[in-house]
Amino acid sequence: MNLYPLILAWKRMEWLALAAAAALAVIGILFIYSASYRQDDMQVTAMTLRQLVWVVLGMGVMLALAAADYRRVAAVAPVLYGASLLLLALVLGFGRTMYGATRWLNVFGIYLQPSEFAKIASILLLARYLAEPGRNFARPQVIALAALIVAVPMALVMRQPDLGTALTFAPMFLAMLFVGGMPIRYAIVLVFLGAVTAVPGWFLLSDYQRERILVFLDPSRDPLGSGWNSIQSSIAVGSGGLFGKGYLMGTQNVLGFLPRTVAPTDFIFSVIAEETGFVGSVTLLTLYAILLGGVVRAGIASRDKLGRLIATGVATLLFCHIFVNLAMTVGLMPITGLPLPLVSYGGSFMITATAGLGLAQSIYVRRVRR
Amino acid sequence: MARENPWNDEVLRLRALFAVMIALFLVLAGRFWQIQIHRGPMYEQDQFRQSIRRVRLPGVRGRLFDRHGRAVADNRPSYTLSIYLEELRKPGSWDRTIDAVEELLRTLSPIVGSPPRLSRTEIRNHIRKQLPLPLHAWRDLDEAAMARFAELAGRIPGVDIQADSTRVYPFGSRAAHVLGYVGRADASSDDGEEPFHYYLPEVAGRSGLEKTLDPLLRGEAGGRLVRVDVTGYRRYDFGQRDPRPGRDVMLTLDMRVQGLAEQALGEDPGAVVVLDPRNGDILAMASRPAFDPNEFVPSIPPTRWRQLNQDPKTPLLNRAVAGGYAPGSTFKLVTALAALESGRSHLGDIHTCSGSFQLGRTTFRCWFHPGHGVLNLRQAIEQSCNVYFFEMGLAAGIARIHEMASRMGLGSRTGVELDFEVAGLVPNDEWKRRTQRDAWRDGDTCNVAIGQGAIVVTPLQMAQVTMLIANGGRLYRPRLVRGIRDFGADSFAMNSPVLVREMNWHAAVLEAVRLGMRDVVHGERGTARRVAISGVTVAGKTGTAEFGRKEDRRRHAWMVAYAPFDAPRYAISIVVDEGISGGETAAPRMRLLLEGLLAANDSEGQG
Repeated sequence: MNLYPLILAWKRMEWLALAAAAALAVIGILFIYSASYRQDDMQVTAMTLRQLVWVVLGMGVMLALAAADYRRVAAVAPVLYGASLLLLALVLGFGRTMYGATRWLNVFGIYLQPSEFAKIASILLLARYLAEPGRNFARPQVIALAALIVAVPMALVMRQPDLGTALTFAPMFLAMLFVGGMPIRYAIVLVFLGAVTAVPGWFLLSDYQRERILVFLDPSRDPLGSGWNSIQSSIAVGSGGLFGKGYLMGTQNVLGFLPRTVAPTDFIFSVIAEETGFVGSVTLLTLYAILLGGVVRAGIASRDKLGRLIATGVATLLFCHIFVNLAMTVGLMPITGLPLPLVSYGGSFMITATAGLGLAQSIYVRRVRR
Repeated sequence: MARENPWNDEVLRLRALFAVMIALFLVLAGRFWQIQIHRGPMYEQDQFRQSIRRVRLPGVRGRLFDRHGRAVADNRPSYTLSIYLEELRKPGSWDRTIDAVEELLRTLSPIVGSPPRLSRTEIRNHIRKQLPLPLHAWRDLDEAAMARFAELAGRIPGVDIQADSTRVYPFGSRAAHVLGYVGRADASSDDGEEPFHYYLPEVAGRSGLEKTLDPLLRGEAGGRLVRVDVTGYRRYDFGQRDPRPGRDVMLTLDMRVQGLAEQALGEDPGAVVVLDPRNGDILAMASRPAFDPNEFVPSIPPTRWRQLNQDPKTPLLNRAVAGGYAPGSTFKLVTALAALESGRSHLGDIHTCSGSFQLGRTTFRCWFHPGHGVLNLRQAIEQSCNVYFFEMGLAAGIARIHEMASRMGLGSRTGVELDFEVAGLVPNDEWKRRTQRDAWRDGDTCNVAIGQGAIVVTPLQMAQVTMLIANGGRLYRPRLVRGIRDFGADSFAMNSPVLVREMNWHAAVLEAVRLGMRDVVHGERGTARRVAISGVTVAGKTGTAEFGRKEDRRRHAWMVAYAPFDAPRYAISIVVDEGISGGETAAPRMRLLLEGLLAANDSEGQG
């Protein structure tokens, strides 16, 4: 086996981003433990250990993709894309239903979310399509075909239903077109079109989705039901103060006001913010800024348009997750099920995030010297 | 290569995109500052409010002691087997937790030695209303149960023994009316600060000294902050302010004297008051029939309560202060003092009793129908001649009788530390006009002069009258509280006697009345000769007061007395609700009481 690409990758990696990613993963493991240690012991160790396994696997995926040439990966993008669509279709047919949504596929006892896989596949296919030499971004047909590439998986994900995940496709698509060179007026038209479709979209939403949005606008609308998580999360974050209550001392999750089902996953930031305060919250935000900065740096340094677009897609995907998750935790956005990259408990998105970071590293490793 | 539009540069666009991301991150950071720093305290308070429950902890109730330090209202430890629900919680429906509790109760039942006494509904109610508090499964465990439980201690999770204190009255029904009784306290919010979420059971005085001294005895409640989880289970205790135990009170009562007083009454309805004329201390205050205050702990069964309340003999009534009686001939002492002190009668006055007294067209009879013949004051008191006192009463007039009686404390509450005390009534012209719209007549004066008619007194008031004669006219407020001991203090802070007023009677007048009273017991024709006991000189006065319809011939039998004659230590009043006469019914009881009081070991009455 030729180890040269791995050694090369290791030597030329974006170290700051890697360090930030590692720090975030460690923070994730620490606070998943904090969020669950009051539950019966077996489950605690199981949850924390499983996350450890995911982190190790994720780091492996990241290093492997960093070593691999992103251009070769992009070459098989149609295959990956096709496979992900097939998996999404399978989910709709045979998926496992939890909390009223069918998002998981049982693969040898492990529940996977094909929607996560679809995000990376879509980024790769879209980047490959847009980076073709001579692609004219001013032609509406090009925009339309690009839109189709994201619209298909997006529609399938929306059917699950998983509105939050489905909506992350849109900014990804817009950002890649924008960086790719789409005229600004097109971008304005697309944003406008998106806003217009949101109006009939309201009526296509299921009741619980509409309720979530209404509760976001007024959490006291249903303080014991849909508004509960939002209120309790704000209380958790707010009561953290400047320095927080200390590790393992956050009462909101210990006492169960922050529901145990979401504390280690979607609301992990509430636990972190309660226990580490404003200082910890800002530290976490800074780590994410460093991480995104690394991905953006890879895009800037990229030797070709393909790399630039892949980096753009990955950065936008990660950013959407970070922003939407944190914003919902502090009551700036409605509750959605988007996990916090590298920190939230869960395997599927861990692999997606590390795969994205791996692609970015691969781009950076193969940058041109200036 | 010249560019028309700088936005065509991919790198520039990517940088712009990143700038937007960082800008949005700054928005998030601003939001963090807003809710963690700016509104942090508010959220912290929200968090506190939703997870902290305040539990009121009552202070241990203060105790009551008699004057020799014997506990008369005490606390004894009682042991409760409590179940901590948070250790039994089961996920899912409450029913599963209730099942677990019931199973535990069944397991514990043979250890405790009695069947589970909590119904499913009671467990459910506890969960709904008092989840963070332990569930009391068995109260007042006996020693055998405690021993059996101790062997298992620690092996059964979620169970523990709690020690509480329970009120106990070691003397049973003795002095029951004075001590009173306790009942479950209402959940009160008078503690200031923030209201509590939970109130632990506490007793409050409902009657007698337990009620009037309640603020002293109750102490100061403490509080415990319990942190609960989202379901309401107790997670841990967050903080505690210990309650302050109540104060101990030493009473003036002497339980030996109290016992003698109650023995003297026996089973007959009536009352006895024994005062120390040197300071107004109430050495005994008995009322019959009585009740056992222990029956009220922790609460009296409703049927028993109804029974006590509806009993025609009114066992809950403290006759000594709440019983209104006509004083009969014991009032003649007051009439004599009123007439002599005002100068309307004189020590040497002599009247003739023919057995009756003619006032206009009305005939007033003396109780001794053959007539007492020629009498001086001393003889009139000795033989309790009505005619002599008709003359005296008419000579003094109702206004002076009323004034003297009032100055001696009749017609108003003594101010003793008990509830339900009645003022009684000394009638006069003004009173009759107001209540009966009729003028006062000489006949009314004749009636009052011998303690009949509208006049009403309490046994305590008559003991007070006796005290005044015994101590030369110093009106001490009758009192039950001798001293108070703060929690943690070594000794009682003693109260000094309260001198309300001095009568400033003429020595000769007082002497004449006293000698008359001595003759009542020791004279040849005294009405209470059977009270004469060897070695001690006693002064007294009997009374027989008719009440109810005349043809029923129902009578209160009275006797007041003080002893020893030269240096009085006891001023006593006895009334028996229904008797033949003071001399026949009350005097033998007075003798019994005095014999007990003056027996060899009576020196403990000192101090």
